[in-house]
Amino acid sequence: MIVAGCDVGSLTAEAVVMDNGNILGSEIIRVRPKPEQSARDVMEKLLEKLDLVYDDINYCVSTGYGRETISFADSNLSEISCHGRGAHWLDPSVRTVIDVGGQDCKAIKVDGDGLLEDFVMNDKCAAGTGRSLELMSEALGVDVSQLGPLSLDSSEVITITNQCSIFAEMEIMHYLCEDRNIADIAAGINDAMARRVKLLVGKVGIKDRIGITGGVSKNIGVVKNLEQMLGKEFVEFQEDPQIIGALGAAVFAAERVKDLPQRQASR
Amino acid sequence: MRALEELTEVSENLENKYVSDWRNQGKKVVGYVCSYLPEEILYAADILPYRITGKGVKDTSQADSYLTRVNCTFSRCCLELGFSGGFDFLDGAVFINGCDHIRRAYDNWKAHQSALPFMYLLPVPHLINPEGRQWYLEEVVKFKEAIEAYFEVEVIDEKLSEAAAVYNETRRLFKKLYDLRAKDEPPLSGTEVVSILSAAAAMPKKEFNQILSELIEETEASSSKATGKVRLLVAGSLMDDPEFLRNVEDLGAVVVADALCFGAKNFWDLTDESGDVLEALVDRYYNHVPCPRMAGEYSRRFDFVKEQAERAHVDGVILEHIKFCDTHGADNALLKKDFEAAGIPAIELERQYGPLADAGRLRTRAQAFLERIRR
Repeated sequence: MIVAGCDVGSLTAEAVVMDNGNILGSEIIRVRPKPEQSARDVMEKLLEKLDLVYDDINYCVSTGYGRETISFADSNLSEISCHGRGAHWLDPSVRTVIDVGGQDCKAIKVDGDGLLEDFVMNDKCAAGTGRSLELMSEALGVDVSQLGPLSLDSSEVITITNQCSIFAEMEIMHYLCEDRNIADIAAGINDAMARRVKLLVGKVGIKDRIGITGGVSKNIGVVKNLEQMLGKEFVEFQEDPQIIGALGAAVFAAERVKDLPQRQASR
Repeated sequence: MRALEELTEVSENLENKYVSDWRNQGKKVVGYVCSYLPEEILYAADILPYRITGKGVKDTSQADSYLTRVNCTFSRCCLELGFSGGFDFLDGAVFINGCDHIRRAYDNWKAHQSALPFMYLLPVPHLINPEGRQWYLEEVVKFKEAIEAYFEVEVIDEKLSEAAAVYNETRRLFKKLYDLRAKDEPPLSGTEVVSILSAAAAMPKKEFNQILSELIEETEASSSKATGKVRLLVAGSLMDDPEFLRNVEDLGAVVVADALCFGAKNFWDLTDESGDVLEALVDRYYNHVPCPRMAGEYSRRFDFVKEQAERAHVDGVILEHIKFCDTHGADNALLKKDFEAAGIPAIELERQYGPLADAGRLRTRAQAFLERIRR
């Protein structure tokens, strides 16, 4: 039974196709101005790769910021439920999921079935999100993907004190003018990011084990800092942590398709 | 549902037809903020108390020039309406030092060319104790004298007693309405109730009581009942605009109870009609379910919210606060912890008041909260 999950976030869109409990494939693209277009583009790219067509998908759950506008989805769920479910599916020992996406950051607690138990999400502020990492790396003149590896070369972490992304960017400019070491500034950016995330995680409380998802989980500097601050080691996912929202949506889709016997028959 | 339509219409217009009718009779209208103002004093002076709102404001550029980034959007919207003449139908305004945000809206409005002819600040103590009660009594007497002097009226005890009776009637009717909401099949949505509460604050109570009685009768007879939905209580910052709850209820929930200062917190306590009426009013307003601006009263507040949650057997509690509302924001963190410990799921939601409404983000959180409850 082929099902799909589609996660349209603020910066990227992801799609995952599953068949009888196996991941057939996944795809990530940068978002277009309209969520529907992002969803179609990422799904079509994946379908083409898998040599499938829309009609092969028996059920699709959409999630993410654009979840309500995606016409090919059969139902939608919040990305909070989906990230929790996806991470738990990959590693059933997971009870806490930290998701740092483009424009938001959340800490999610799940039960033994991977279902939502509690969560917190950052308030309307870009600090502690992927977007603020991008802004800061732009100020530093490096690609956001380099921020993690670069920070590993630092000898002295520069403390970024401003919580506001815009002010933090100005603080970075100031350090650049002072000709400080770029690796040290990068380490400071990751440290500031980790501190913001830790604050949020503290609000919901931690239950072992912990997984980290979303684009920012690809930044080794932030991840290491956070592990140190929390005194915990994160589980290692066998899949790209950026697709976990879409994966969770696909896991839900596999469950929901069972409730639609007449629909299955028609396919 | 004729009565509901009527009240909804009242809530949607700043100068509603009851205000116009009142003014056409040559009578005065005085705006006020906060549930710590004994409205009965104005009512006894034949002045219509009108609760100041920030509803319908599309842009706050004038208020923005006076306030800082960390003033809440409610005080911002109220001030904008004041500056732009939205409250020109008022003969005066009474503010309370309820919180620093609204106090600053008062300071700036009073100093502005758009200030109303009568501007008054009624200080309310932050501690509930015998000394504080004495101070509050003195301030209420001063306020009464200021009204008498400015509007050239006399507020006699007989009129005050009449007002106290009318206001108590409103409170009893609201309790009846909330009993209906608490039923297994709530006949009204939370969105509709916010409109009713908002109308109550903007029209004469005698007329309001009549319409509310009709509404209760209509509601008891009506067959439109919300079923199969997640039952919620909402508590937190001031809410007189139905949009926030509409957004939540659209996702498959129904708000069946509240602990809001426009809602249950404002009408739950009655005024004792047996003794000295002014003393009774002072006791009633000073000791009513405490707002988080009162120091050291958390446990009473928690008990009240929990009582409301239990009598309406809710599935979850929404603890909302307007961004930068420190009093409710900090209180909600405690309430969240205590509700979870009591086995009732709770969520803290930060929101904006008025034109800056942040619907998408709120929807995601509210939807996830409902998914958590339904799992």
